[in-house]
Amino acid sequence: MIELIDVWKSYRSHRTGLQNQILRGVHGRIRKGDHVGILGRNGSGKSTLMRLLSGVDNPTHGIIRREMSISWPIGGSYGLQQVATGATNARFIARLYGTPVQQTQDFVEEFAELGRYFYEPVNTYSSGMVSRLLMALSFAVDFDCYLVDEALSTGDARFAAKCRHMLEVRRENAAMILVSHNAQHVRQYCDTAAILRNGMLEFYEDVDEAIAAYQGL
Amino acid sequence: MSGYVPRRRQASALATQLRVIHALVIRDMQLRFGQSRVGYVWLVAEPAILALGVSTIHWLAGHGLQHNIPVFLFYGLGYAPFYMFRGILTRNAGAISNGRSLLYHNAIRLHDLNMSRTVLEAAACMPVILLLVVGGIIIGGYWPSDPGLFVFSLVLSALLAHGLGTLLAALIVFYEPLERFVHPFTYLMMPISGAFGMLDSLPESARELLLWNPLAHVHEAMRYAQWGDLIVAYYNIPYVLLWVLILNFMGIMALRAARPYVTTD
Repeated sequence: MIELIDVWKSYRSHRTGLQNQILRGVHGRIRKGDHVGILGRNGSGKSTLMRLLSGVDNPTHGIIRREMSISWPIGGSYGLQQVATGATNARFIARLYGTPVQQTQDFVEEFAELGRYFYEPVNTYSSGMVSRLLMALSFAVDFDCYLVDEALSTGDARFAAKCRHMLEVRRENAAMILVSHNAQHVRQYCDTAAILRNGMLEFYEDVDEAIAAYQGL
Repeated sequence: MSGYVPRRRQASALATQLRVIHALVIRDMQLRFGQSRVGYVWLVAEPAILALGVSTIHWLAGHGLQHNIPVFLFYGLGYAPFYMFRGILTRNAGAISNGRSLLYHNAIRLHDLNMSRTVLEAAACMPVILLLVVGGIIIGGYWPSDPGLFVFSLVLSALLAHGLGTLLAALIVFYEPLERFVHPFTYLMMPISGAFGMLDSLPESARELLLWNPLAHVHEAMRYAQWGDLIVAYYNIPYVLLWVLILNFMGIMALRAARPYVTTD
């Protein structure tokens, strides 16, 4: 379980030196097997929330209790070595998280379907290819919770189906938190949803209800 | 399809940290020397070229030494350990600013970034030093008089550099321009490091001054370990150990203080 108790986060602005309040008292609870979508407009603090959940950053106030192993935020190109190949990145992840190196590389190669690009540097990849590699890398490690930050939004329908299948297979052990500004992705992957607005998180039992509320914003 | 998932092995905290450092060392090695196997040769070749070059210059310049101490080996064994100190120091100082994107993997702690750099830099320089010592034995029959002290001094030198480098890395988080001063600082360290000449050859007042610097003790100890009673050496191991403890303690504290201010983007 992951529990957020009155989580606040502010960053100091480099230009003005003032505190920039991003999160203002976020509460929430994510259990095993939950697939939670977090909807928020650009700049609503989605990425900040992800960083706090993953443990990259600590909250200014409040507590985050993690009783599950949590992936790094899967999106952008977080956690990747740009100048290294997909294969080298896979071996790095394997060594870092203690999975068998060769098996991990094979798994990532098969799942990401990058063809010969798997042996080319990541900085030659398209954004779709980077996302496929990231999803494959994270799935190669048996995390209890996958933090997906937009990475699923760039894949094609077939790859999306593959990821859904993978998440379904692992449902007994693994949760997913999907952060997106796109309601369709949340509908596709999640069974509950929350809206991040004004630095606070509102949970909805029903995804459609959440999406209606989000679109009404 | 892909029902198989590689499972992680259960591991203790220490095993986890060693695993993380191992992964970082290999990553660093690949970043610095490319993917090819030939790249690894550069890891050792770089310090070797410098050490042998400096030794050759002194040898050609014909700086005579007492008791027929061979010039080439004398300066090689002064320069190579200093090169290691400088390498560990500068690589450590840049550890956070260059490696912070890695913090997305929360198995990686700030200190792991530093430790992996120290390990890699030491692993690159040790073979060169070993090569010089073994070369001295084979070519000239110069056995180190106290191999244990030699290795211990090297380790002390690495720990001094690690502590100071870690401290600098953390301070750079608070004040970025400090990074610009690290390189000049290591050059200015050269004449007061005691790496290139015996303290015995200095006037007493200068020697006393240099002996405030723990690095001068380290190099004197190393020289004594190699040449034994052929030279007069001035060193105090407990003094160096005290510096090692203080610098590393301050480094770790500074890392803790800096952690909330490290931005990952």
